[in-house]
Amino acid sequence: MTESKLSIVDLTKRYAAGLDPAVDRLNMEVEEGHLVALLGPSGCGKTTTLRMVAGLMDPTAGSIVVDGKEITHTPVNKRGMGMVFQSYALFPHMNVEQNVAFGLQMRQTSKSEQKRRVAGALDMVQLGHLSKRQVKELSGGQQQRIALARALVVEPTLLLLDEPLSNLDAKLRETMRTEIRSIQQRTRATTLFVTHDQDEALDMADRIAVMNGGLIEQFGSPTDVYERPRTRFVANFIGQANFLNARVLSETGSAAKGETHYRVSIDGLGQFGAVGAPGLTGSTHELVIRPHRLRVSLQPAGTETIAGVIERVNYTGDALSVAVKAGDRVLQAQMPTSSGDLPRAGDAAYLSWNEQDAYLLPTPVKEPAA
Amino acid sequence: MTVTQTEAPAARRAGAAEGELEKSTGRRNRRTYLALLIPGVLGLVVSFVFPLAYMVRMSFNKGAPDGVIEETFTLDTYIQPLTDPYYWRVTLDTFQMGVTVGLLCVLVSYPVALFLARSTSKYRGLLIAVAIAPLLTSAVVRTYGWMVILGTNGLVNSTLNEMGLIDTPLKLTNNMTGVTIGLVEIFMPYAILAMISGFGRLSPQLEEAAGSLGASKLQVFTRVTLPLSLPGILTAFLLVFVLSISTFITPRLLGGGSVQVLATEIYDQTTGLLNWPFAAALSVILLVLFGLIIAVYQRLTKKIGG
Repeated sequence: MTESKLSIVDLTKRYAAGLDPAVDRLNMEVEEGHLVALLGPSGCGKTTTLRMVAGLMDPTAGSIVVDGKEITHTPVNKRGMGMVFQSYALFPHMNVEQNVAFGLQMRQTSKSEQKRRVAGALDMVQLGHLSKRQVKELSGGQQQRIALARALVVEPTLLLLDEPLSNLDAKLRETMRTEIRSIQQRTRATTLFVTHDQDEALDMADRIAVMNGGLIEQFGSPTDVYERPRTRFVANFIGQANFLNARVLSETGSAAKGETHYRVSIDGLGQFGAVGAPGLTGSTHELVIRPHRLRVSLQPAGTETIAGVIERVNYTGDALSVAVKAGDRVLQAQMPTSSGDLPRAGDAAYLSWNEQDAYLLPTPVKEPAA
Repeated sequence: MTVTQTEAPAARRAGAAEGELEKSTGRRNRRTYLALLIPGVLGLVVSFVFPLAYMVRMSFNKGAPDGVIEETFTLDTYIQPLTDPYYWRVTLDTFQMGVTVGLLCVLVSYPVALFLARSTSKYRGLLIAVAIAPLLTSAVVRTYGWMVILGTNGLVNSTLNEMGLIDTPLKLTNNMTGVTIGLVEIFMPYAILAMISGFGRLSPQLEEAAGSLGASKLQVFTRVTLPLSLPGILTAFLLVFVLSISTFITPRLLGGGSVQVLATEIYDQTTGLLNWPFAAALSVILLVLFGLIIAVYQRLTKKIGG
């Protein structure tokens, strides 16, 4: 096993005694060169975690190790990290060049070296021609790039990004996403990235830590957290999901990646195929099915279908979202649009799915006391 | 109404009508603004411009010690203070006092203002109110307070004496030292307010960013906090300087007659010697001094981008 670039061990932050901790015994290993997204709703502890790694906030307990060295209580200016703030925090009394050179000046790099590296960093973000500009003359996107150049020019041990895209408009955000990712991959800077935007995390990150209430709910690759959510929170926060309580009846064989095929029974709807971690037989689990993985058919097709009535139809051009009422449940599904006839509310619909697209959450649902 | 006129039939005419409408509303707005300016401007003309003009005119008259004013046009009133070393001394002392009080006041107010500006406490509003609360008592009362504290048998001297640090009381009143101490304290609330309002560009994130880039606490202060608070510092200095060189009560009371500055001199000439033309000339000199300082201030603020 390769040594992690960053290890976070039982990191805890409690703002005041008696209050729930903002970050609660958090553990995480980050590999060299990876971009890790800390993803979660506001108040989940993601920014607190980042600030503790940066050294801007003192942890209550736990430790932070970078390159095998414990830095938990190292002052911020001795950590050698590069941080990009949500507000960019460019120094308004310095021009672009002076902003980018600041970190090098603090390291007492020679003047000629400073000049060379500042020019290199500005070229990297394609703003070499703006080096003499004042900060207030720059657009939001330009300020963002300068902030990135300023953080990267010192060749930081870790690059820390605190919601760097949240102040940009939607179009620019997409462009900067790609650009930050490509710069990150070129410089191979190990990066922690705080965001509340799931698309951003899925698009940019090598690993996503989905956080909730000061805890990491799941830490894995984008496909992991999307396809195989560990908890209902993760499934719900990343993308949309239908949840159905399913009694696991029996194993029907082994699936790929050490998973198991099961036969499950959903109250009032019948028996279906599903997939999940081994050893779930006998208990009730939530079955997660993404709306676009549900096949909608307007005629009865096959046996393992859920019959229902279309309650609502939303046409967005690329896709058609339908809400199908089956018994007392409403399931969200998506179907491709066509220029022909589209289903309407009131039509009968039959839902089915591929077995590997119906995933049983590993933690059983607590049975209501009989 | 004009609006219906612009929507009127011929499209050819509509454009022209719209332009006219714009012009007429512009004219109407300007007229409203001008009307709103009138009360303030009138007040200033009556209470400031007219007296100022009267004073300037007065400074060219001829005054006699017994209060007789001879309407004429002479530069004697200016020649006398500009050639007499005594008045050079007084002017220089005034200027020096303004600079000293300004610098000291900024120095002691800066930490307080910085703390208040950066505080996120729920008591921040209360703390600011406390910091400027001394303005609720008049400068006269506070000056008398300082006379008690600084006097020969005052709080400072008796404490130092009790502690065995001094044998003879320090001379803290009836001289420039006392006046300076008093003025610094009296003008602190103004300095604090001016600084807080001038710290707009300061933000904790900038200091954090500097720290994350490797700056020590001292470097964060010298490279980020201090440069960004300069506009506030300059404004506070200017304000305190102007207030100091124009103040009369504290130099008169704490100076005990042995501190002569332009303000006390003007007072003496006006009420004591009844030489109004001469007092007016001194006032004009004081005004020129203000003007010079304000010109320098504007140069500086432009330079530091305040």
